Amino acid sequence: MSSSHAYPHEPTGVETRKLGMWVFLSTEILFFGTLITTFMIFKGRDFPGIKLTDVYDIPFTSISSFILLMSSLTMVLAHNALEANDQEKTRVWLLATAMLGAVFLAGQIYEFTEFYHKGFELGTNIFSSTFYVLTGFHGLHVFIGVVLLLALWSIGQRQQGLTLEGGMNLEFVALYWHFVDIVWIVLFTVVYLI
Amino acid sequence: MSEIHVEHPTPKKYVQIAIVLGVLTAIEIALYYTEDIVGVFTDPLLIILAVGKFVIVVGWFMHLRFENKLINRFFTGGMILALILFAIVMFERASANFF
Repeated sequence: MSSSHAYPHEPTGVETRKLGMWVFLSTEILFFGTLITTFMIFKGRDFPGIKLTDVYDIPFTSISSFILLMSSLTMVLAHNALEANDQEKTRVWLLATAMLGAVFLAGQIYEFTEFYHKGFELGTNIFSSTFYVLTGFHGLHVFIGVVLLLALWSIGQRQQGLTLEGGMNLEFVALYWHFVDIVWIVLFTVVYLI
Repeated sequence: MSEIHVEHPTPKKYVQIAIVLGVLTAIEIALYYTEDIVGVFTDPLLIILAVGKFVIVVGWFMHLRFENKLINRFFTGGMILALILFAIVMFERASANFF
């Protein structure tokens, strides 16, 4: 059964590790908020060299965005399956999430390579630097997420399987993964569409 | 240990939410390609759609709407601080204090 738990024995009423995870995500908002703000300072200004709008491919990035968005669905289904103690489904959805994340990363690597070939490089101008730092840090977060998902999947292969309590918690990895998704929701609009 | 149980959505509900997110993304892309028709409303509409998708993922997939108020405050606090930073910098940029 799906449920949220209250922890009356904790002074805050919330599991301390879970609260810590949300505080961490809150600091991550500030981290990405700073990077987005820096990117926006230089967006729309004229700099020497090729422009981002000359090199990007909206249909391609749209498909990548859709893939990452759907990985949030598979992630929440993995969490739901674990709450129902269905180990097999949990492993399947975890692996699906990791695969979707890996496809998104492959797309980003392909996109960066294309940009470089077209002359939009890290050192082209200060705007290109802010673009690569912003999207690159997001990519790094996706990579860490994929590693965590594969680690969870690997733990799930063991005889005891995964549990919602103790050890490497699926709920926290899920929170991290959804966070990576919401950051991309903002980046897709701010960097590519506006 | 006494526990308070709050029902989360069912898998079927999650799929429905994902469909809504997919439709909102399709509208975003359509807006991008119809900027000449939509005009000055394009950017505000894109921001509204992004905020909508953000709220749906945070509220339903991250279960924030079912969570303790303290967790809500931490997350909202981070958001507000980031938005204040963004607003101050953009105000400075508009005032031509950069470059």
